[in-house]
Amino acid sequence: AAAAVAAAAAEEEAKYKMEEYAREPCPWRIVDDCGGAFTMGAIGGGIFQAVKGFRNSPSGMSHRMRGSLTAIKTRAPQLGGSFAVWGGLFSMIDCGLVKVRGKEDPWNSITSGAMTGAVLAARNGPVAMVGSAAMGGILLALIEGAGILLTRFASSQFPTAPQYAEEPAPAGMPPPSFGDYRQYQ
Amino acid sequence: MPVAVGPYGQTQPSCFDRVKMGFMMGFAVGMAAGAMFGTFSCLRIGMRGRELMGGVGKTMMQSGGTFGTFMAIGMGIRC
Repeated sequence: AAAAVAAAAAEEEAKYKMEEYAREPCPWRIVDDCGGAFTMGAIGGGIFQAVKGFRNSPSGMSHRMRGSLTAIKTRAPQLGGSFAVWGGLFSMIDCGLVKVRGKEDPWNSITSGAMTGAVLAARNGPVAMVGSAAMGGILLALIEGAGILLTRFASSQFPTAPQYAEEPAPAGMPPPSFGDYRQYQ
Repeated sequence: MPVAVGPYGQTQPSCFDRVKMGFMMGFAVGMAAGAMFGTFSCLRIGMRGRELMGGVGKTMMQSGGTFGTFMAIGMGIRC
């Protein structure tokens, strides 16, 4: 079950990637991802646990409804919490890599997926760490690949879409303290 | 929901379109991931031949559905 949680969390992280225009600049991305992941986990966990609690309850409509509600109340916040941990740690490592490497490309998120998996499995020993890291890395690589394919497909659909111009920084705001990084991909 | 037209004359996908796209993409990613991890785990518990195909297919559909649902929710909460 923990593996499924990590898997789903990993994938949902990278969904942000496929719409880069929607991503926050780096330090705030951590908060954004953490909260988004919690919401997603709570809602998705609510849906799945509703079905599961309904099916696992004794027969009778009121029993089933109550069982469904109990399952949602106990499990959905837990799932949201694990998603939030995954998302927050992932974004932290991602932002750290952006700062260290000075660029932003798919390798960042693949690496941070693997490192997140390793860190979160650290208490289960080195073998579990390697397995979890491999899973995180593979998942993030899949998602990155899907995002790249989607971007390519979308841009081939609209070949004449003009490039977005660099927006001038609004006056009175300090320059971003996070250094400049470019968006590859 | 009215069709929003972007500043460059290109129609923006509606919310439902984005949720649908998120589901499709999540389903594809989940199928791929399920194919890999499902093959490993089914081989480990000793499935071979036709049984292995069925086991891998089931894992693929399951993880595709899970991923797709979560991805659709993720698209839905931020549009």
